[in-house]
Amino acid sequence: MPAASGSLTQPDNLANAISSEAPALEVVDLWKKYGQNQALSGTSFSVKQGERLALLGPNGAGKTTLIRSMCGRVRADRGQVLLLGRSIREPDVLQRMGVIPQDLAIYSDLTAKQNLECFGQLHGLRSRRLRERVSWALKWIGLEDRANDLTSGFSGGMKRRVNIACGVLHRPQILLLDEPTVGVDPQSRQRIFDMLDELNQEGTSIVLTTHHLDEAETRSDRIVIIDHGKVVADGTLEHLIESTIGARRQVAIEATGLLMAAPSGLEWDASRNRFVCLVDNVAEELPQILDRFQRAGGVVTDLEVHQPNLHHVFLHLTGKELRE
Amino acid sequence: MIRTVIQTSWRRLRNNPSELFLTFIVPMVFFSIFALIFGSRDASSSTPKIKIAISNESPSELSERSVQLLEEQSSLRISPPNPSRGSKSNPSKSPTFKRETAQDLVRRGMVSAAVVFSAPRKSNPSDDLPKVEIMTDSFDQVASQVLAAIVQKAVMTANAEIAKTKSPDPGSEPMSNPVVWARHNNAMATGANFPQPPVVEVVDVIGGKKANPVVAMYASGIAVMFLLFSATTASGSLLEERENSTLDRLLCSRLTMDQLLLGKWAYLTIIGAIQMSLMFIWGALVFRIDLLNHLEGFAAMTLVTAGAAASFALMLAAICQSRMQLGWVSTIVILSMSALGGSMVPRYLMSENIQRVGLLTFNAWALEGYNKVFWRELPLNELSMELAVLTTCGFVFILAARIFAIRWERS
Repeated sequence: MPAASGSLTQPDNLANAISSEAPALEVVDLWKKYGQNQALSGTSFSVKQGERLALLGPNGAGKTTLIRSMCGRVRADRGQVLLLGRSIREPDVLQRMGVIPQDLAIYSDLTAKQNLECFGQLHGLRSRRLRERVSWALKWIGLEDRANDLTSGFSGGMKRRVNIACGVLHRPQILLLDEPTVGVDPQSRQRIFDMLDELNQEGTSIVLTTHHLDEAETRSDRIVIIDHGKVVADGTLEHLIESTIGARRQVAIEATGLLMAAPSGLEWDASRNRFVCLVDNVAEELPQILDRFQRAGGVVTDLEVHQPNLHHVFLHLTGKELRE
Repeated sequence: MIRTVIQTSWRRLRNNPSELFLTFIVPMVFFSIFALIFGSRDASSSTPKIKIAISNESPSELSERSVQLLEEQSSLRISPPNPSRGSKSNPSKSPTFKRETAQDLVRRGMVSAAVVFSAPRKSNPSDDLPKVEIMTDSFDQVASQVLAAIVQKAVMTANAEIAKTKSPDPGSEPMSNPVVWARHNNAMATGANFPQPPVVEVVDVIGGKKANPVVAMYASGIAVMFLLFSATTASGSLLEERENSTLDRLLCSRLTMDQLLLGKWAYLTIIGAIQMSLMFIWGALVFRIDLLNHLEGFAAMTLVTAGAAASFALMLAAICQSRMQLGWVSTIVILSMSALGGSMVPRYLMSENIQRVGLLTFNAWALEGYNKVFWRELPLNELSMELAVLTTCGFVFILAARIFAIRWERS
């Protein structure tokens, strides 16, 4: 995909120095310790130009530290972050990045237009260029008719859209989004992802953290899972499934009756009060499992067979639910 | 149900340290401050003394003795001090000022009042008594009244002592002698040997000619206190930005922390200057404060005061962890500073120790500067000390704010 060219906010010499072949973002062996807490332990991964990457991890895995390191807000103890082949510590390099924090980082006592103007100016946009970009952004987020309304009166979804627009006014080549759809209704979520797709189609690379696994599955080209400050998986969804739990199906059984112990080959999923197991061949193995239940004195009340998905991969790799 | 409401409210209070602090500790803190200000006004050494200058242009014995008696008063502080005061073996004459110099000292606020003994008018031979004037600065309304009584007493005492030395020795002619007794009574009645002391005249050398002196005095006190409150409230935006991650977003743009702080400082300074200007314009329109004739001094003081207040507010914001914390910290600090610095209670009412402590506050210097402009009507160069102190405060506070803000850059 073409890189977002014509970034008028960048100095020419910087534009020339940046390699079109380099990854949009490269995280190289990042280490960060807060007191006794090792937040990052040699984290490394990269994002290709024009790629959409989902960054997943249970709470406390180091996602926030990683995001803040990538946008230069946290100085890592070791390692580096490269943006289009250049260190983010170099002057003006970070201007090629857009950051959308999880919180609504906008001024609620300014109008949508005033917010956009403010952040546009802070990213170096001036006069006609600023007006053009603000006008584009208002259209992009579908709030042209509410441009002069205070954002304090907006719905959660509308505020989220303004929040995102403030981070893309300067046409960044890579966009970091920290849970951009948290607390947003399904329609607004769809709207936000449509907006991001539009940006991506124009060449913007996107790094997204989310607690919605379906977003990671459907809205990213690649998934990176981190736990305890390390990358534990990196690849496409298919690759992750193949490399972790393979093509096996998960069988989940709810049963009543006096079961002294879980039938052999099944595990008790206490969080959902059911037995689970992975099978290679459903047609062959399922009757055997049901037979084992019957012999153990249990009565099967419900049965589900799941195709492996990101949730299973995540559980397999981290042993935790995403929100734990 | 009511019990549950009370119980829940109490638990919420117990779990909120800042609210607990505001409810139970802050009142005691303020009680202590005011107790320190007013509670020590007994006979202790820190009781405020009235600082006066003496001008004795009269060669009379009465004025000499009156000056001596004034020097012996423990409630007065004579400027400049007489090094041999209290030494009976060497009762040298106190250095005194010329009338004009003494008046100038009062006008410039170096002393609260001046006692002037003028030479008697030779045109009137019968008038051989010195003229006694107390030149007061009605800014310190208590001092002028107390001093008038003290001077009156000193002059009367001196007069009586002199009269006594001039009267016949009672030992030589016993009072039991009816003739002597009758003569003595007659002298008392006619005042022959007990001449009436001169009348002490009180002259207000500063406030007397002002249209509305009280307002000119207090406008700055109120204005500076509210300037601090509004500046700290506005500086809370920095903490709000940090709390909702806007600060992260700002610092991910081309904006640096230096630029952010300087931008906020400039904004707060401009708003503060406008606020002070509006207050004084209102005072001029409604309460007849003479703003037009003091524009130069007002502009200089307002600019440095607003700048220092902005720096102070940003420093408080940078120190605090949350907007809520800033709210109660600023309330305590500003009220304390205002109490000690003279925004609430004139500093001349405070003990000398508290007055010295008050000089550590921002308010005291700002108020002194405004007093010099509006009350004493001094030229701009007389404000150099206040302007220097406030400018230094401004630099130190903004530097402190910058140092404390480093943690936000690295977090």
